[in-house]
Amino acid sequence: MKLSDSKTELARRHNKVVYQDGNRVVKVFNDQKPASDVFNEALNTARIMGTDIKVSEVLEVSRIEGGEWNGSWAIANSYIPGRTLRDIASEVSYPDKNNPDLDKLQEFTEKMVDLQISVQNVKAPLLNRQKDKLARMVNSVKAIDPSTRYDLELRVDGLHNIGAVCHGDFVPSNIIVADDGELYICDWAHVTSGDPVVDAAQTYLLLKLRHPIWAESYLELYTRKADVAKQKIHYWVPVVAAAELARGRKRDEDFLMAQVNAGDFQ
Amino acid sequence: MADKQAYIVVDSDDALDGALAQMREAQAIFATYTQEQVDKIFYEAAMAANKARIPLAQMAVEETGMGIMEDKVIKNHFASEYIYNKYKDTKTCGVVDEDPAFGMTKVAEPLGVVAAVIPTTNPTSTAIFKCLLCLKTRNAIMISPHPRAKNCTAEAARIIAEAAVSAGAPAGVVGWIASPSLAATNGLMRSADIILATGGPGMVNAAYSSGTPALGVGPGNTPAIIDSTADIKLAVNSIIHSKTFDNGMICASEQSVTVLADIYDEVKAEFERRGCVFLYGDDLEKVKKTVIINGGVNAKIVGQSAHTIAHMAGVEVPEGTKILIGEVSDVSPAEEMAHEKLSPVLGMYKAETFEEALAKAERLVADGGYGHTSSLYVNVNEREKISAHAAAMKTSRVLINTPSSQGGIGDIYNFALTPSLTLGCGSWGGNSFSGNIDVHQLLNTKSVAERRENMLWVRTPEKVYFKKGCMPVALRELGAVYGKKRAFIVTDQFLFKSGFTKKIEESLDAQGIAHSSFWNVAPDPTLQSAEEGLTQLRAFEPDCIIAIGGGSAMDCGKIMWAMYESPEEKFADMAMDFMDIRKRVYDFPKMGKKAFFVAIPTSSGTGSEVTPFSIITDATTGVKYPITDYELMPNMAIVDTDNMMTQPKGLTSASGVDVLTHCLEAYVSVMSSDFTDSWALRGMKNVFDYLPRAYDNPNDVEARDHMANASCLGGLAFANAFLGVNHSMAHKLGAYHHIPHGWANAVLLQRVMRYNSSERPVKMGTFPQYDHPKTLARYAECGRYCGCEGKTDEEVFENFLKKIAELFDHVGVKHTIAEYGVDEKYFLDTLDEMSLNAFNDQCTGANPRYPLVSEIRELYLDAYYGRPASSYDA
Repeated sequence: MKLSDSKTELARRHNKVVYQDGNRVVKVFNDQKPASDVFNEALNTARIMGTDIKVSEVLEVSRIEGGEWNGSWAIANSYIPGRTLRDIASEVSYPDKNNPDLDKLQEFTEKMVDLQISVQNVKAPLLNRQKDKLARMVNSVKAIDPSTRYDLELRVDGLHNIGAVCHGDFVPSNIIVADDGELYICDWAHVTSGDPVVDAAQTYLLLKLRHPIWAESYLELYTRKADVAKQKIHYWVPVVAAAELARGRKRDEDFLMAQVNAGDFQ
Repeated sequence: MADKQAYIVVDSDDALDGALAQMREAQAIFATYTQEQVDKIFYEAAMAANKARIPLAQMAVEETGMGIMEDKVIKNHFASEYIYNKYKDTKTCGVVDEDPAFGMTKVAEPLGVVAAVIPTTNPTSTAIFKCLLCLKTRNAIMISPHPRAKNCTAEAARIIAEAAVSAGAPAGVVGWIASPSLAATNGLMRSADIILATGGPGMVNAAYSSGTPALGVGPGNTPAIIDSTADIKLAVNSIIHSKTFDNGMICASEQSVTVLADIYDEVKAEFERRGCVFLYGDDLEKVKKTVIINGGVNAKIVGQSAHTIAHMAGVEVPEGTKILIGEVSDVSPAEEMAHEKLSPVLGMYKAETFEEALAKAERLVADGGYGHTSSLYVNVNEREKISAHAAAMKTSRVLINTPSSQGGIGDIYNFALTPSLTLGCGSWGGNSFSGNIDVHQLLNTKSVAERRENMLWVRTPEKVYFKKGCMPVALRELGAVYGKKRAFIVTDQFLFKSGFTKKIEESLDAQGIAHSSFWNVAPDPTLQSAEEGLTQLRAFEPDCIIAIGGGSAMDCGKIMWAMYESPEEKFADMAMDFMDIRKRVYDFPKMGKKAFFVAIPTSSGTGSEVTPFSIITDATTGVKYPITDYELMPNMAIVDTDNMMTQPKGLTSASGVDVLTHCLEAYVSVMSSDFTDSWALRGMKNVFDYLPRAYDNPNDVEARDHMANASCLGGLAFANAFLGVNHSMAHKLGAYHHIPHGWANAVLLQRVMRYNSSERPVKMGTFPQYDHPKTLARYAECGRYCGCEGKTDEEVFENFLKKIAELFDHVGVKHTIAEYGVDEKYFLDTLDEMSLNAFNDQCTGANPRYPLVSEIRELYLDAYYGRPASSYDA
């Protein structure tokens, strides 16, 4: 594909840049990203397109022709006019971070929880298995001592495949509130088929990490609406923290290491 | 891996399969060892482990950084000494129990390769414990240590393996995984023959998911209660003693204590006096957040001292602090102090009442300690509280006035609790076993059961009097021997009006025995007539009941007797069918507490005077109750031919052929014995010799005399050997088509005999002594005894059938059911139901051939139409 000159940069991460280019959103990956990951992300999105979940559709996967990104792999998705839930929520409920309006925030959290549960109610058996992915990620984190890893792997080993769609990165910044009010979910790179409780633990951990004021009310609402005990979500926090460490984000390391606490005691 | 090495070390995931194959070879040799060889190995291994208890404890603390060396010494000591002491004399090899009289031999065999998962909290003692159990039971053991404690666990196993091999064990029955990985542990659990998984919920879950039989244990959350009646010093110091043991790492250790309000301050003061520190406010919060992270215990504080934990939390307490205590009120998982803490940190609750304390403990158990251990401190005389507590706790160990760490592992504070370092938590804890694991869980026990025959018996009335004219003589015993004062006579209208009871009354009068009579027994005795007589009987309060008549009066008398003796018993219960009279569900009430029972027959047929049977019909429902129990056996039978001289021809015929059927069925019954055979043979011979004479000439005293004896002999025979399918079918022919009982038997008899005589029956009767189909030979024996001849059993049998046919013709027995005037359509309409009911009759069980309902149906049809009999061979 080709990028037009009118493209605007939406986000920049260590291995990709995201542009809006007309009615398309194009994710351009640098050479650190294996082609298989790129196709996997596109395939994941395509699988979700086959369900009732509202997503920004994948339009094309190809190398960029010409320009600074010549030869890089890219995925083009349809552009959804709207804003992320995080942006709207932060504007409305905590323009002043030190003095958030928790009642208002609660309304957004509730929207998010309802959406997450509706996604988890969908079954998509052809997606990658959550258990395999977690096991692989936990095992790859050599920064965790082998004894602790052993106990974490033991937890993963006991994971049952419920077959639910688990987004894997379900945070307010990945939810788009379209101009017509509909909610769309983007970034399906990490989606798996698995146990919703682990998905919720992941969201809880990411919220604690990035938007701590959301975290506790999220946990409260999720456990109530999904009718699941908090301990069950807590049980998976060390595991998903270890899996996050596998992504190698230096700035999160200390926080995540503190969350990795596991023992399988008698 | 050198061949000579005593043990097997799995040094990579890929080496596991090869190592297990090698271990299986070693175990196969070990499985052939004798008890003497095994006991020597067990002894040497226990000695070696015991000697190494201090270095192993030092290693464990050094490697894991958890616990207290001196306490680990106790655990190692316990694991070697207590386990040796417990099983030194236990038989675990080959024949472990023998009972020649009952033909039972128990043979113990090893299971094979045991996968042993060892926890970090007790890395050496649990290894010693499991190795010793495996050596004692000739199993091989492959250990999967926890990576945090792999070196000390391996060292414990090495010491035991070397001692075992020096004592003669095959090299390679002990091994371990050097660098434990989940892949290797899972692989081991899949391949082993059984898993002994001591660990947390994750490990136990993995064990049970592996598909291999598993004995797993899991976490505890032991709640202690201190009741108002408890000895406070004992309670508080026991808890301190237990909670500080190895820094609280034993899974049975107390995690919380609930104290009754009236002694709360005193308990608190005692805790403080003994060096425990109560935490408040921020200090408590800091410690909570340090101990529990994300709802689970912080791995870094497990097995640390109170001082270290406080320090980690940024709280300063004196160095020698024994326990950190937080006073809390919430028992839900939201409260950190309500969790298992595996450290000297204790939650303390206050309860206003004992019931409130129980409710709190129940909740604490439910949220993390299902199936493990609970404890109560109480005055031992408070039995109600102790039982209420035991009832409320869903824990496999309920300890009273006992430090739970040292108490739960057994044999230290209670000597009946099995010493063990692997404590089962039952189904509550997701385990397959709720006791303390011992050698028996590591053995397959074969029960070698040799064939034995049932004990048989001869039961008769205490006295059977016979001979013409014996009744008045026998009756004199009622006064002279038994000292009876009040006699109650049961009979039917006909006999009463014909003066049969007169002679009895005269005898009673002469002895000064008061008497009363009930003479309204219906021909097929009904419950209603028995109840009518019972009213009279109860009012009279006799100490003796005399039933005179045919089967009806005697049967009715027996029922009235039973209802008089035990008015509270239910009729339907008494009538419950049984497969073996000795194993029946219903326990028949003891008879004879109120009255002595005399039976006097007036017909030569039923033999009821000497049997434990009575058949009675509920007239409102039409249901026939066959009541059977030796308690119904009359105390005295008086068989006086004078009472039988006036039997009409029809009765003589019908009751006479009934006698023949009794004798034949008792003779071929699966329960027949030398005792019943002799009665049956003489009884049937008498029928052949004297029934035609008694039939032809009612006044033939000699014939009547022998028929009276034949009837009684038949009764004695079937009272002990029971009957068969002929009677089952005849009972239903009587019930459905009202053919007199004796003739109903006779019209079926020859066909049933041919059916029973099959050498290839579809199914034979089930009774140990009935070892092959042999009824043809048995009938031939009867035939020969009654004078039939032939070169083979078959020939004698055919001649015997002819002899029976001649007898039947002589006494007017009809040849088919149809000839008895049974309507064909009605017969066919009821046939299926009647066949099923005949199959279900109590008499069917003793038949030598186990009948199919379809066979019974065919027999009925043959007998209805007079079709040639068939043997229905398979």
